Amino acid sequence: MTAPLSKSIVIWVMVGLVLLTLSAPTVVVLGASFTSGNIIVFPPNGFSLQWYGKIASDVGLRGAFMRSLTVAAICTVIAIPVGTLAGIALAKYAIKFERSLQVYLLLPFTIPLIGSGIGLMLLFGQMGILGQIWPIGIACCVINLPFMIWAVTASAANLDPDLELAAANCGAPPIATFFHVTLPAVMPGVISGSLLMFILALNEFLVSLLLTDARTVTLPVQIYNSIRSIITPDLAAISVVFIACAAIIIALLDRLVGLDIFLKSK
Amino acid sequence: MTGMTKSDGKQKAAVAVSVQNVNMTFDGFHAVDSASFDLDQGRFLTILGPSGSGKTTLLRMIAGFQKPSSGEIFINGAPVSAAPPHKRSVGMVFQKLALFPHMTAAENVAFPLKMRRFDATTIPERVQRYLDLVQLGSYADRRIHQLSGGQQQRVAIARALVFEPDLLLLDEPLAALDRKLREEMQLEFRRIQRELGVTTINVTHDQREALVVSDEVVVMDKGRIQQMASPTATYRTPANAFVAGFIGVTNFLNGTVKSTAGQEVIFAAGEREFIGHWSAAAGAPTVSANVVGALRAEQVRMATSADELGQCRTVLSAAVTDAIFEGERTAYEVTVGMDGNIIRVFDHDPAAHKQFGIGEAVFIGWNPQDVMIYPN
Repeated sequence: MTAPLSKSIVIWVMVGLVLLTLSAPTVVVLGASFTSGNIIVFPPNGFSLQWYGKIASDVGLRGAFMRSLTVAAICTVIAIPVGTLAGIALAKYAIKFERSLQVYLLLPFTIPLIGSGIGLMLLFGQMGILGQIWPIGIACCVINLPFMIWAVTASAANLDPDLELAAANCGAPPIATFFHVTLPAVMPGVISGSLLMFILALNEFLVSLLLTDARTVTLPVQIYNSIRSIITPDLAAISVVFIACAAIIIALLDRLVGLDIFLKSK
Repeated sequence: MTGMTKSDGKQKAAVAVSVQNVNMTFDGFHAVDSASFDLDQGRFLTILGPSGSGKTTLLRMIAGFQKPSSGEIFINGAPVSAAPPHKRSVGMVFQKLALFPHMTAAENVAFPLKMRRFDATTIPERVQRYLDLVQLGSYADRRIHQLSGGQQQRVAIARALVFEPDLLLLDEPLAALDRKLREEMQLEFRRIQRELGVTTINVTHDQREALVVSDEVVVMDKGRIQQMASPTATYRTPANAFVAGFIGVTNFLNGTVKSTAGQEVIFAAGEREFIGHWSAAAGAPTVSANVVGALRAEQVRMATSADELGQCRTVLSAAVTDAIFEGERTAYEVTVGMDGNIIRVFDHDPAAHKQFGIGEAVFIGWNPQDVMIYPN
């Protein structure tokens, strides 16, 4: 409280710089999307919503957006049971080869995405399932699963092991114990993990680039394709839609895992 | 309660829990070593021991969380080793309570009824009855984190009792409470246990709690049961030196037996000879055996002159090395003669007796019946 003025000035300048750096891309893209001109510039030329109108009426973009949502949904639906069970198992039970298993599950992090992308492309190609949407969802799930597992493990590690014994003592068989006691206790982790999985899959670019074709192109890949021709302000508008999606999910996270307080006893 | 009465006409209570030669070994370490005891219907038993004595392991085996390496546990006459915990009619209050944090107080209490498939229409009434029993009737809809420590204790008790188990287990649930609340809850456990008549096994390392709440006390050390007796008998006639030292504040005199006469034993400790007595629980020592004499701090009398201790058969001169006034008593430490043995002395009526200061020369005395002789 009684820090010298010079010290607090330095701290505030640093905080300001960090905030500016972190938010600069968002601010620029947000500004550029409202331009009334035909080229993407910041600060924008005038104000209009014309580019939002344009992307809303673009069938190709809408299709790509819907496909991205589908991919994200498939990824999340698979990640919830797989990641939850794996996370609880890793946190709670003394498993044989636990270390190796952990390293194995974190492998997708250590391999460059382009490597996993090529691997999955070869695999899916051989299985003859390239050109469909669902394999992209599975691919996103595979490469991002560690996030889900981490989120659940963090919740499960705080779990009092006596809680499950108490449930058994109350007469609950193991499956009822899982659904009535274990699952609600790790719910904050499951919620944050699955929202994270959703947004990561929605934004996923590199692996999707390798796995998609003209019929299955997802939104990030579609944007990339447009950049290669002409850069128009509609790209900024799409980016803002992306940012809005992320913001909604973060707001959801805050709302739901704010429930955290209710789910924890202390 | 599935009460059983033996038809031998003598009004003898049925055995509710029988632990028979139970062992628990972890990697060659005997956590519980040949434990055996019987507990009658409706009794309140406390297993007392230091941490690592195996008391919690024994309790967890009775609850079904751990399986004995050998031996068998019977509840109401039926062996239970093969039954998983959720198939046993045993309620338990956990050390850290283990209440379900995402449920309200009433939902916590209703949980065992739902899991044990009680008639759904009777559940709300029964939950309310048990919340009333623990004086939480108006807190039904509170979440666990909205309740105080003492209230959480009460929810845990209601949850453990609501399905009317054959047996109630208490795993040191009071250890974390402050002293005043702990003593209040001890009496509360006692009241509820008497009111419902449920057979109860309590685990604690708190000797006072064991004496206050129990009908019977089992003292455990190093995985073995050292003694099972009533609180009074446990305190007055400890079975061995461990029990004598673990309960109460006890002075130990190490020595060798010189001679025995009836119950009395004369033994030499250092330069001196003392007289003690042996009890049936410990058995008579043989001449020249190494023994230890156990002397309670409150049995030692203290005075300025030897004459005032005329009724004591053993009188020693000593010097006060510490005097702590604790309100209801004064705790002294005195050093005896040149061997430098420290003897602890309690004066339980400081207001009526002369108080001594550090460095004062005093005489201390006691009688043979105050010194209990155990093999060393």
